Amino acid sequence: MSRRPVSFSKVAQPVRSLMQRFAFSALFVTAFALMLMGKADIVLVERTRVAVNDAMVPVLDILSQPAASITKTIDSVSELHDLHGELERLKAENKRLRQWHHVATGLEAENRALRGLAHFVPPPDPAIISGRAISNTGGPFVRSVLVNVGSRDGVRRGLATVSGAGFVGVVVEVGELHSRVLLITDLNSQIPVVVQTTRDPGVLSGDNSNRPRLLFLPQNAKISTGNPVVTSGEGGVLPAGIPVGVITAIGDSGIRVKPFVDWERLEYVQFLDYRLGGVVKIPGTGLAGTGTRE
Amino acid sequence: MKSDVLQHLDLWARAIMPTITTLLLALLDVIPIGVPAISDVSPLFTMMAIFYWAVYRPDLVPPFVVFLIGLLQDILLGNPTGLFALVLLGVLGATLSQRMAFVGKPFVFAWLGFAVISAAAFFTMWLLTCVLTTQIVLTTDVFFQYGLTTCCFPVAAWLFVRIHRHLVR
Repeated sequence: MSRRPVSFSKVAQPVRSLMQRFAFSALFVTAFALMLMGKADIVLVERTRVAVNDAMVPVLDILSQPAASITKTIDSVSELHDLHGELERLKAENKRLRQWHHVATGLEAENRALRGLAHFVPPPDPAIISGRAISNTGGPFVRSVLVNVGSRDGVRRGLATVSGAGFVGVVVEVGELHSRVLLITDLNSQIPVVVQTTRDPGVLSGDNSNRPRLLFLPQNAKISTGNPVVTSGEGGVLPAGIPVGVITAIGDSGIRVKPFVDWERLEYVQFLDYRLGGVVKIPGTGLAGTGTRE
Repeated sequence: MKSDVLQHLDLWARAIMPTITTLLLALLDVIPIGVPAISDVSPLFTMMAIFYWAVYRPDLVPPFVVFLIGLLQDILLGNPTGLFALVLLGVLGATLSQRMAFVGKPFVFAWLGFAVISAAAFFTMWLLTCVLTTQIVLTTDVFFQYGLTTCCFPVAAWLFVRIHRHLVR
């Protein structure tokens, strides 16, 4: 295999192979040690991870650009396939939504009147930081995503992350230029939620599948499939009322929730910061928030 | 003299081609590829690259480079640090010890070899993740990713053969 002159390789070969074997074992042990050190939350490992991610952001930012256009192309091809059916479906949906619009306007007026009667003080609007997902959702072993905004843009650990459709996850790592969001489907994700219709509290626990489990519901909870689930705000880390998903299965494998977020098209996400109320004016009221959520 | 330098540069550039392809594929493993059906679970191209180069040009895949690429991928994907580095080193080691069984044989042997070695790699990854998280990780997606990785190997190998012939020699 070697392209070196024979005389040299005759001398160097045994030494080289010994060195290589030693290097191999050393690297193996290092990888193992790193794994254990990571488990022990060593600051240096954490800092290195953040620094590497920050350094790679520009590269990933460029490389991840074509993904969106590939998705769009595939989507438009599959749409072309059934244009007529899609039109019919949208017409029916538009009719239904128009009826809902009437209902919603009525309820909004009623809500406003009741809020006036009860002197209800609405919670401050959050500051919103938007970013683009520059990594995929991680695969079967971990579910997290890198986003191209970081502490420079005001992202902090623990911020709630949403996409257009609903709750995505929580920020677990922040660098200067990036942040990592632990998705609600990850093994390590535990989100306090409440079943919206029955107000039964529970914990949404991920297991790396696309259908996280709903745990620790009260004994007498009267839930059924189709019930929407929202964040409860319990514990004070996350805001309450962010739509999470709907209950799709109640059975032997536990109560499963289908998240509203389309993981296959997770492109832009928003970080909701409720504590920046002091800086951001609340639209419509002319008041600045107090800076606390409770 | 000048042509000598150029020749060295040329040789050097050819020698690092396997590293470059592996690194690029490691990044491809990380970025969203935008194909809806496999966006959750995409094939692990890095594993294919390391297997191919370890079989056909073992002198050009230094363990240190494999370790660093694995580490980079761990950090970018949010895996426990060192998990993928360990698994890739295992793939390299296993392939290097068995490579004579694939060299000069029909491609099917290499494919079969890759299927066996990557199965062991996926099992190790699963086991280590279970131990590190102290939870049983669902196996459906692991099987799916393994299947996808094995099925995509011929396509990747076709590309590696082209690179091998024209850019490495």
